[in-house]
Amino acid sequence: MRRHPLLWKLAALQVSFCLLLTWLIWTWGLSVERSTYFLSQADQDYLARYAQQAEQAWQQAGASGAEAFRRKLERAEDTWAVLLGPHLQSLGTTALDAEEASHLTFMRKLDWPMSRRLQDELPYVSIEFPQHPENGRLVMQLPERLLPTGLTPWTHVITHGVAPTLLALLLGLAIYRQLVVPLNRLRDRADALRADDLDSPGLPLQERRDELGELAQAFEHMAGRLRQSLEQQRLLLRTLSHELRTPLARLRIAHDSDLPPAQLRERLEREVNDMQKLLEDTLDLAWMDTEQPQLPTEPVLMLSVWEALCQDICFESGWEQSRLPCSLGTDCRVQVHLDSLAQALENLMRNAIRHSPDDGRVSLDGWRDGDCWHLRLSDQGPGVPQADLERIFQPYQRLPDSGAGFGLGLAIARRAIELQGGRLWASNGHPGLCLHVVLPIGQECLES
Amino acid sequence: MPTSLLLAEDDARLREDLQRHFLNRGFRVNACATGTQALNAVQHGRFDLVLLDIMLPGIDGLSLLDELRRQQAVPVMLMSALGAEQDRISGFTRGADDYLPKPFSLAELDARVDALLRRVAFGRETLPHGEPGPLVFDQYLQDVLHHGKAAGLTASEFRLLATLNAHPGEALSKPFLYQTVLHRAYTRLDRGLDVHVCNLRRKLADIAAQHLQIQAVRGQGYILVDTEHA
Repeated sequence: MRRHPLLWKLAALQVSFCLLLTWLIWTWGLSVERSTYFLSQADQDYLARYAQQAEQAWQQAGASGAEAFRRKLERAEDTWAVLLGPHLQSLGTTALDAEEASHLTFMRKLDWPMSRRLQDELPYVSIEFPQHPENGRLVMQLPERLLPTGLTPWTHVITHGVAPTLLALLLGLAIYRQLVVPLNRLRDRADALRADDLDSPGLPLQERRDELGELAQAFEHMAGRLRQSLEQQRLLLRTLSHELRTPLARLRIAHDSDLPPAQLRERLEREVNDMQKLLEDTLDLAWMDTEQPQLPTEPVLMLSVWEALCQDICFESGWEQSRLPCSLGTDCRVQVHLDSLAQALENLMRNAIRHSPDDGRVSLDGWRDGDCWHLRLSDQGPGVPQADLERIFQPYQRLPDSGAGFGLGLAIARRAIELQGGRLWASNGHPGLCLHVVLPIGQECLES
Repeated sequence: MPTSLLLAEDDARLREDLQRHFLNRGFRVNACATGTQALNAVQHGRFDLVLLDIMLPGIDGLSLLDELRRQQAVPVMLMSALGAEQDRISGFTRGADDYLPKPFSLAELDARVDALLRRVAFGRETLPHGEPGPLVFDQYLQDVLHHGKAAGLTASEFRLLATLNAHPGEALSKPFLYQTVLHRAYTRLDRGLDVHVCNLRRKLADIAAQHLQIQAVRGQGYILVDTEHA
C-alpha cells in the first residue's frame, strides 16, 4: 500500500486556503462594509450641536421657542425635524400628525449605522438633549448630504477582489515551494551530472518523507550507480590496458629475440593463456553484472563439489589432498547452480592457497543455519586488514603484496554466489582469513 | 574412406588454418565462408561432421543448424566467440552435438572432434555387458550390485560407470564423456561430470567396491582402474 504524503500536504494547503478565504470574506469583508455605514465623528458633533441649540431654545422660550427652532432647522437643512418630550409628545406648538408619529417608530441614535436600506427612506435620528436628556430630544430626518456613502465600489474591489487575489498568490507560492523548488534542485543536480560533476554533495531533499523525497532518493541512487559504473569503467580500461600490454610487450620481445623454437612456443603459450584468462574473467564478470542471468538451480552435494575441485587444485598447486580437509558430511546439500558455485569456490580456494604459508592447510566446514547452509573456508595466511575486508570483493582491487592475479577472482565469486541467492563475505580468523558462504539448503532436504 | 568435414567459418585466416590442419589429418574438407554456401553444400553432399561458427554472414549458424537438423542427423559442433556460460544459459548450444568457445587450441579442437566422431561410432555399437564378476550391472534397474548390495546410482551415474567399464584401462576424454553420459556439450566451467565422478566414487565405496577406482588423468579425462583384477 503506497502512502501519498504529498497529496495530503497539497490537500491540507488547499483546504486551509479555502477556509481562510471564507473567514476573511465573512468577518473582515462584512466589518469593513458595516464600518462605512456610521456617521463620522465631525458629523455626529455637528448634529449634537443642533440638539444643544434646541434644548436652549426650548428652555428660553418654551413651546414657541421650540417651534421657531424647529422651523429654522427644517429650513436650514431642508429636512423634517421635531422636538419631543419624555413621552414622545411634541414640545412645539403643533401636535404630531399620524404620519409624523409613524416616523418615530424606528429612530436611530447618532452612533448607530445609517443607511437607506429601510424602505428607501433617509433614517430618522434621535438626539437627546445634552444637558437634561430626561426632558426631551431632537428628532430629525438625516440630511441627505450627511448620509454615509456605504460601501464604495473601490472598497468592494479591495475586500472581495484584491485580498483574495493576494491570498491565492500566497497559496501559489506555497505550492511552488512544495513542488517546483525541489524539482529545480533536482534539475540542477541533473545538470551537474550532465556536466560530469559526479562528486557534488547529495541532495538535502532526500530527507523529505514524501514522494519528492523518494524521487530524490531514487535519483541519488541512480547517480551513485552511475558514479560507480563510470569508476568501474575507468578502472577496467586502466587495468585491461595495463594487463594486456604487459604480456603483449613480452610477446613482442620474445618474437624479436632469437629464442629457440621450443622456448618461444612455451613463452607464447604462457602469455596467451594469461591474456585469455584475463579476458574470460573480465567478460564473465561484466556478463554477470549486466545480464543478471537467472541461473537454474539443483540440489548439490557440497562434499562432491569440494572433492572435484580438490582434484584439480592439487594438480595445479602440487598440494597434497590431506592439506585440504573438509568436515562436511553427506547431509550438506545446497540448492545452487553447480557450475557457478564451483567457479566461485574454486576462486576462493585458489585465493586461499595463494596466501597460505608453505605447509598451510585450507579447510572447509559449515553448519545448518535455518533454511541455509553456512559454509566457512579458512586458511592460515596473514589475513586481511579489517578495513579491507569488503574491498577485496571489488573487481581489480589488489591488496599490496597479494601476488599474481588480476583481482577478479573474489569479485566473480561474490557475483556468482549472489546470483543464486547466496551471500559471501570475509572475516579474520586469527590467524588467517575466513570466507563465509551462505547458500539455500537443497530442496530435497527441505522435503524430508 | 576419409572423414568428410564441412567447415563454415567467416574469418578467412582462421578458416584457412583450420582447413590446412584437417587436411593434414587426412580429412576431406569443404570450407565455406557464409551460411548460404554451407547450406548449399549440405544439400548436395553427405558429411561425417559439421564445424559451424555461430556468427555467419547470410544465414547464421543457429538457423543453419535448425535447417540441417530437419534434413539429416550429421553431428554438428558449434564454434562461438561469445562467452561459454552465456551461450549455454541462453540455450545457444541446444541442438548442437558439441560446443567449442573461441579461443581454442588445436589440441582441444582435435580432442573434441575425436570425441564426437567416436561417440557417433560408439552409438552404433551395443554396450558390452560387464564381465561376470562380483560387480553386476543391472540394465533394467540402472544400478550396479556388488555381492548383492545395490549402490543406488542415478541414471547419469550408471551411464558414466557403464561407459568407463566398457573401456577398461583407457582414459576417456571429458568431451567424450559429456557427450555419451550427460548428452551435452562440455564447456570450461562445467563441473557436472566431476561431481558425478565424486558421487560415484562414494557410492562404490559404500558397497565395498573400492577396487574399482575412477582416476582423473590430467588433461585427458577419466579412467576406470580395477586394482584387483589388473
